[in-house]
Amino acid sequence: MELFLQSIVNSLIQGGFFALWAVGLVLIFGVMGVVNFAHGELVMVGAYTVWLLHAQNDVPFLIAIPVAIIIAMMIGLVMERFLFRPNRTDPLAGLICSIGVLFILQVIAHEVGGTGPAKQVAPPFNQIVEIGESLRIPMQRLFSLGVAIASLGVLWFFLTKTKLGWALRAVALDREASALQGININRISMIAIGVGAAMAGLAGALMAPLQNITPHMGHNVIITAFIVTIVGGVGSLSGAVAAAFIYAAFHTFVTAYFNGTVATICGLLIMVVVLIIKPTGIMGVKVSE
Amino acid sequence: MGITRRNLLRGTAAGIAVAGTGFSTQLLAGQKTVKIGLNIPMTGDYAPWGLPGLYGCNIVANNINAAGGVEIGGETYMIEPVGYDHGYDTEKAITGYNTLRHDDAAMIMMLGGSTVGSIIGRAQRNKMLVSTLLPSDITPDTSNLVAPSESHPLYNCTGVDWLADNFPDAKSAVIVTTNDIEYGQQSAAVYQAAFEARGIEVLDTNFHGFDVTDFAPIVQGLLASKPDIFCMATDVYTTPLIEALYNQGYEGKIISCTLDLYDEVIAKTSKEFVEGIIFQFPDFDDPALQSDDILFPDPSGFWDTFQKDYPGQWSAVAWEYPANLVTWVSAAQAAGSIEPMDVLAAMKANPNPPHVFGTGKWWGKDLYGLDNCVVGRWPVVTMQNGRARIVEFRDVGAWLDKNLDILKRKMQDLGLRTV
Amino acid sequence: MSIKNLIICIVILAGLVALPHFLAYNFQDLLIFLAVNVLVVVSYRLVTLTGEWSLIHVVMMGVGAYASAMLSKMAGFPFWISMPIAGLTAATIAALLCFPLFRMTQFYFLIGSFAAGEAIRLVWIYFIDPFGGSSGINNLPPPELGDIDFYEPIPYFYMTLIIVTISLFILYRIEKSRVGLTLNAVHWKAPLAESVGVDTWKYRSLALIVGSFFVGIAGALKVHYLGVVTPHQFGIGVMVFVLIWVIVGGYASFVGPIIGVVVLTVFDQGLRASGIVDPAVQPAVYGAVLIASILFMPEGLEGIGKRFFSKSSGENA
Repeated sequence: MELFLQSIVNSLIQGGFFALWAVGLVLIFGVMGVVNFAHGELVMVGAYTVWLLHAQNDVPFLIAIPVAIIIAMMIGLVMERFLFRPNRTDPLAGLICSIGVLFILQVIAHEVGGTGPAKQVAPPFNQIVEIGESLRIPMQRLFSLGVAIASLGVLWFFLTKTKLGWALRAVALDREASALQGININRISMIAIGVGAAMAGLAGALMAPLQNITPHMGHNVIITAFIVTIVGGVGSLSGAVAAAFIYAAFHTFVTAYFNGTVATICGLLIMVVVLIIKPTGIMGVKVSE
Repeated sequence: MGITRRNLLRGTAAGIAVAGTGFSTQLLAGQKTVKIGLNIPMTGDYAPWGLPGLYGCNIVANNINAAGGVEIGGETYMIEPVGYDHGYDTEKAITGYNTLRHDDAAMIMMLGGSTVGSIIGRAQRNKMLVSTLLPSDITPDTSNLVAPSESHPLYNCTGVDWLADNFPDAKSAVIVTTNDIEYGQQSAAVYQAAFEARGIEVLDTNFHGFDVTDFAPIVQGLLASKPDIFCMATDVYTTPLIEALYNQGYEGKIISCTLDLYDEVIAKTSKEFVEGIIFQFPDFDDPALQSDDILFPDPSGFWDTFQKDYPGQWSAVAWEYPANLVTWVSAAQAAGSIEPMDVLAAMKANPNPPHVFGTGKWWGKDLYGLDNCVVGRWPVVTMQNGRARIVEFRDVGAWLDKNLDILKRKMQDLGLRTV
Repeated sequence: MSIKNLIICIVILAGLVALPHFLAYNFQDLLIFLAVNVLVVVSYRLVTLTGEWSLIHVVMMGVGAYASAMLSKMAGFPFWISMPIAGLTAATIAALLCFPLFRMTQFYFLIGSFAAGEAIRLVWIYFIDPFGGSSGINNLPPPELGDIDFYEPIPYFYMTLIIVTISLFILYRIEKSRVGLTLNAVHWKAPLAESVGVDTWKYRSLALIVGSFFVGIAGALKVHYLGVVTPHQFGIGVMVFVLIWVIVGGYASFVGPIIGVVVLTVFDQGLRASGIVDPAVQPAVYGAVLIASILFMPEGLEGIGKRFFSKSSGENA
């Protein structure tokens, strides 16, 4: 019972991270049609920023987070303006460019952090919340969960309640028709990648105190984000969020009750099965060609 | 942002060393030089188990050269460690091997695992001497492969033995480690055997991949069986694992193979929490290492230089490659030659080969197929007041003589190769 | 093939036969890896002819490599038998994967092929018996043929060269045949092709199966030289390099990917040997080259060569 309750809490926390990773990927793919392979590296940049500012230079954690968001966002904007926009007609070219960015960001991280063991950030909030007899949740993890859910809420509000958000969703649905309606595609693309990259940077910043920080940490991020995106439906943000929490729960429970390797294999199999049965994902809509 | 610049400089300094020019002693014209190759990972995930070794070798070589070099067979030689970064890639390991061999390296030192597997057939044919840190690489066909300093993971038995002697109430354990063969599974087998030998029940063993981002589920799953001992067999993720234990309010014993960068573990948990963690890798300024029966040259001087020149880079391998280098020097002196096969013969001819922590014996025939690794005594280290300190040395060879059958059975259960 | 092309091919082959004798010993084995990689990229191009970019190609290479390694190590098969079986095994696995994979197209196919490939790799890691887990299978025997010593790079290179040349010739013939033309049609005009009765599913599957057969052979060639097969040799990182070689070289023509892999490998080794760039920084240089090639030469290196060639020949006329 104790393990069950703990696993539910862990699932929520993991789900929050998975959702932050995946919404950015979905937004960028939806609006621009580009698979951003460097998305995991944006998360890595967020984590490195917190390590550099907070752990190495004593900048307060709450200031390091927005800086991480801004840096990830700037990288995203540069990618859109100089790499994705010139290749708008060729999604493959965008994908390859993002692989190029991936290499460059990893090397920059390597140069900034030096070689050697994985970087660590001591948790800025080190209290532990005890609920009842047996449930112990570190404050740092609760904080991450809270911020993740809040930012997903803000994103939801932005997309459904603001004019810009409507325009963004319209472009994701049908780019050409939106352009005919007078929507500025380039501007919307900048916003999509800005928001997507900011979410990635935020996720990285929140993760920094919770895990090993290495130049290659983006690899797991992108694989998980792909799984979540596919299971949720490539075009669907709400599907991605739902899939993030479902996949996190699945992974957490299998890891806790069996082991980590089995969890990963089963995760990939679930994705393949979803692709076979319903290639558009659990909440996906059929996108017209 | 002055400190940012410091970090950048540190990165650049590391970069220069990677380029393989860490050799700083100026050579005088006419002097003879012997090159020792390090075909190791200096970039990528395995870099922490490669690069610090090159740094360590540079320190030891500089000290030897500053003292006038070594005399081998009537000639005076300067020692030059030459690094090649294979990034733990089997293709590059072959290129590295060929490059170093053609650069006239007298011995090629490697980390071990599949990268050794890709070059050892060639080394046998080329009569090249190769050293590894993983005795499990040794097979009946690899007579040119030696493991003279590190006997990973055999020495883990010493920590368990010490634990059982000092905490007789601890009767059950759980084990966590990575799912790779070379480090995780080999190490898990030794821990399982060591626990069984002392009547400690292993409740659960969890193998995880290198893709874990959250260790809470793993730790909580293991703690659900209420173990007395939490054991991390050679796991690179010790820091997040201990952090997860701390978050769970775990109060039992913790034993691990390594505890690299324990300062960061303390920063993430507390000094009180890490107090008493048992592991196997001492700091080299340890008082117990400053005695004459320790066959590593000036351990505390080595530690100080390393901390000064390469801050934050110390890992378990920092002294192991240098220890192999020291072993090579004494064998070459005994052989009076730098020819790889002469040096190997001299190494093997010594029934009491020098080992970092005192003399040892050649061992391995009964487990791997050849007596090509040295087992001797090995330190049991615990955390004491925020520092790693040796509590006792124990004899790995004696444990193996007594418990080899259990170890073999545990290895076979995991599907690992034995003879 | 025109007489002119035939002469060019013969000259190149003659050059390749002579080349290893002019190279330092440690560069000779790079030549073997390069020859293997040429087969990898050309077989990959066959798969991409139908317009689907798969991320499973390198894993298929691993399937072949594992098949050959296990047959020779555990059942004692000679290389000359285990190598073709390696190709057949990869082709068989590819045929099985066609059913789920070709229910998807484009982005879904890309990710689906990636997931299937990762699942195969995890199986190698997880099932120590018989795949050997993360450290794979060691001590693979080299091929045996009379007194030839295939431990040495030059004989192994010549053998690789012969097998790769034959494979390239077959792949070239396939591309120029009716089947190859249909594959192209499936790419550019799938609805039209379907309307005239072309079974696009069948042709997509055919491309994947044939491509996997040849890359399976490439896998066997590679690991019997390395002497060891591990799951890490066939990770997504390697696949990314295959993509880079094909795209930087130019995937519009048969020679494009070959130019890509040759030029980038020489560039890479030159960079490493020159010592100008720290090896740790090299991936960034690679990344920059990749981006520059996409932005400034959309048709790849091959496109540049063609433009230059047609311009100069235009001046002559």
